[in-house]
Amino acid sequence: MKIECIKDRFGEAVMRAEKVSGKNPTLPALGGIYLKAENNTVSIKATNLDLAISITIPTKVIEPGEVVIPAQILSSFVSSLKKDKNINIETEGQVILIKTGDTEATIKTLPTEDFPIIPLIKDDEAFSMPSKDLILGLKSVYYAAAVGSMKPELSSVCVAYGGDGLIFAATDSFRLAERKMKVKKMPHFKQILIPQKNISEILRVFDSIDEDISISIEENQATFFGGGVYLTSRIIDGVFPDYKQIIPKETSSEVIVLKQDLVDSLKTALIFSDSFNQLNLKVSSVKKLFEIQSKNQNIGENKHQIQAVVKGEELSISVNHRYFTDCFQSIPSDSINLRFSGQGKPILMEGVSDKTFMYLVMPMNKL
Amino acid sequence: MDYKQLWQSVLVEIELAVSKANFTTWFKDTRIVKEVDGVVVLSVPNAFVKEWLIQKYHHTILKSLRNLDSSIHAVEYVVNKEESKRRDDRDMQGALGMKELPLPDNLINKDDNLNPRYTFETFVIGPFNELAHAAAQAVLKSPGLMYNPLFIYGSTGHGKTHLIQSIGNHVKTANPGKKVFYMTSEKFGQDCMNALQNQKMSVFKEKYRKYDVLIMDDIQFFSDKVKFQEELFHLFNTLYDNNKQIVFSSDKHPHFIPGLEERLKSRFSAGMIVDIPPPDEESRIAILTTKARQQGLVLSGEIVDYLAHSVNGNIRDLEGAINTLAIQSQLKGREITISDVRSFVKNNTKPKRSVAIKDLVKIVADFYSIEEESIYEKTRRKEVIKPRQVIMYLLREDFNISYPSIGQKLGGRDHTTVIHSCEKIKVDIKEDPTLSQEINQIRNLLAV
Repeated sequence: MKIECIKDRFGEAVMRAEKVSGKNPTLPALGGIYLKAENNTVSIKATNLDLAISITIPTKVIEPGEVVIPAQILSSFVSSLKKDKNINIETEGQVILIKTGDTEATIKTLPTEDFPIIPLIKDDEAFSMPSKDLILGLKSVYYAAAVGSMKPELSSVCVAYGGDGLIFAATDSFRLAERKMKVKKMPHFKQILIPQKNISEILRVFDSIDEDISISIEENQATFFGGGVYLTSRIIDGVFPDYKQIIPKETSSEVIVLKQDLVDSLKTALIFSDSFNQLNLKVSSVKKLFEIQSKNQNIGENKHQIQAVVKGEELSISVNHRYFTDCFQSIPSDSINLRFSGQGKPILMEGVSDKTFMYLVMPMNKL
Repeated sequence: MDYKQLWQSVLVEIELAVSKANFTTWFKDTRIVKEVDGVVVLSVPNAFVKEWLIQKYHHTILKSLRNLDSSIHAVEYVVNKEESKRRDDRDMQGALGMKELPLPDNLINKDDNLNPRYTFETFVIGPFNELAHAAAQAVLKSPGLMYNPLFIYGSTGHGKTHLIQSIGNHVKTANPGKKVFYMTSEKFGQDCMNALQNQKMSVFKEKYRKYDVLIMDDIQFFSDKVKFQEELFHLFNTLYDNNKQIVFSSDKHPHFIPGLEERLKSRFSAGMIVDIPPPDEESRIAILTTKARQQGLVLSGEIVDYLAHSVNGNIRDLEGAINTLAIQSQLKGREITISDVRSFVKNNTKPKRSVAIKDLVKIVADFYSIEEESIYEKTRRKEVIKPRQVIMYLLREDFNISYPSIGQKLGGRDHTTVIHSCEKIKVDIKEDPTLSQEINQIRNLLAV
């Protein structure tokens, strides 16, 4: 194999692929990046048998061929090259020779025949949506998914079609995030569950691509394709809990606050939070009061009143600081609406006049 | 040779031919799911393995299989769907003191309403339910043709739902193309009602007529609901005429469901009606052992015998006992001893029942629609004699009241009269299923 291509383009592709490559001690080929040069393109592939990526970039192919190179070495080396514009890659027996204007390196290769075949999904009616929307949808909810849970459907993000758009949802059974995104076309799937640990890779890979992403589904596998990048992930065979039934329908008290005010006072509260991250919220419509309290026996305690519009019954409720704070990054509006439906009932959080994002968090048992 | 052995032998051959790294990466978690007409279906953990085996090892696998069994001529690969091993590494850190969102249990498949937990593998067969099990198996062999409808009845907690759901789950896995649907009669009623209100009767009719196997649980709730019965009747006829399998369950024999129309009763009788009686002691032991194993609880033979003997009641009660003991063992951090079980049984079994004779007389008299007073009178009218004998029988059998005092309480009769009555009913029960049903129903009334 012998190719010549633009270093930055090659480097970017290698960086993306390297993140996906596996660290499998039994099969060293999994820790490699596979390059295949033909028809004036080079495809760069990597997989950890859970997630696989294949990136095709235009290249000048002098001599077609294939090679597997240890992923980390290749990626570190290419990213260390700063000035050069072009890069030449050539195989020489068991090694590969990489040359730029003034640098030269040889890297030992891995056996190509051991590199896994990446399952290709042929789907003519793939559903497509702008990458911006896909990223936003996933980003808005994926932090709420369970990390390594007994229930695989909870350690995944659910993408489902409902109403007039896609609904992204995730929950670890303590809190739940849901983001609605409008789409032009109806997808051909009802519901897919993408493993939470693959989401960050999907986000990283497609974050810098501003094109439509097409999504195809086949037998426990979902494929995302866009901007020359082909990414396939295992999907979970299961049913996402029907969380619609647990969204509280009645509100006993309601608080509207400015997002920034709340975020600031939560930062203060964090200093005093205890090992359980307990945060106490006090709602009093009589005194027109919304107060945040945290205390730690070893440090001290802190009370903070926030200017807010308060309606409904008096309530004092505890929440986990981390779970409570997580959602602010996904609320687009300036003010937040908190709806309480009594002791021991989930708290509903939304942006004011924004129906695209919703967050539910369970209170804590008072300790 | 079963599938497991067959595949083991193939693996041994392949292991010799390929490198260790390749073998562990690509052949781990593979197994044969089934073999039909010489086509072996191989389950693989993910799409990568599937692709790899097809491209690289297909010939090796097929050749090894053929060496062992020459009738095999093809191999198919499917990605294993039960991949989601439920691992037990829940991170408890954030969970301390946290309440969980009341997320609904999502085990139930929305398309067919079946709960995948109910399968024949987990169904404990004993003398008490082997007939019902055999009938279910016969239905599976030729759905819609053999016993249609299959009607299973028995008291609560005897495993009716488990059995009929297992039929559904089995049909689903064996014939993926068949449309199976499970529902309770209450759901059917609700659907029917909604359809009536929204004037969507045709949609409702259409919906239920498309199923190949329709399973309806707790049919006794249809008693006196004329409209639902009518709909069920038409649905039944359509499905039956198209040789679609129908399975019903109820807590009574169809003939004893009050307010059920004759035409439905006669249709139910056309198929197979099986009873699941309460589990005998032997079966109770088997059930306890199985449930204990599922809970990871180690119980000695003595404990199981004692439990089977002392926890009277249905399978749910047995399950409850096992669950409590499992938690106790976990809390105490040691195995359960017989004295733990004794104290558990002492605290949890129902106290011996007692009854005011007057109440019993009233219930029985109402049941047979006769005057309460006539029981105490000296009359020998036929319609009074039988209820009176039933009362004596129940007082003796269920409440252990002495013969003389039964006689005394029921209008000063001689104890020999009482003995004769009890013996007579005992004999009659065996010969007359109607009588035994009646007595069961009276017992149910008493239990309330």
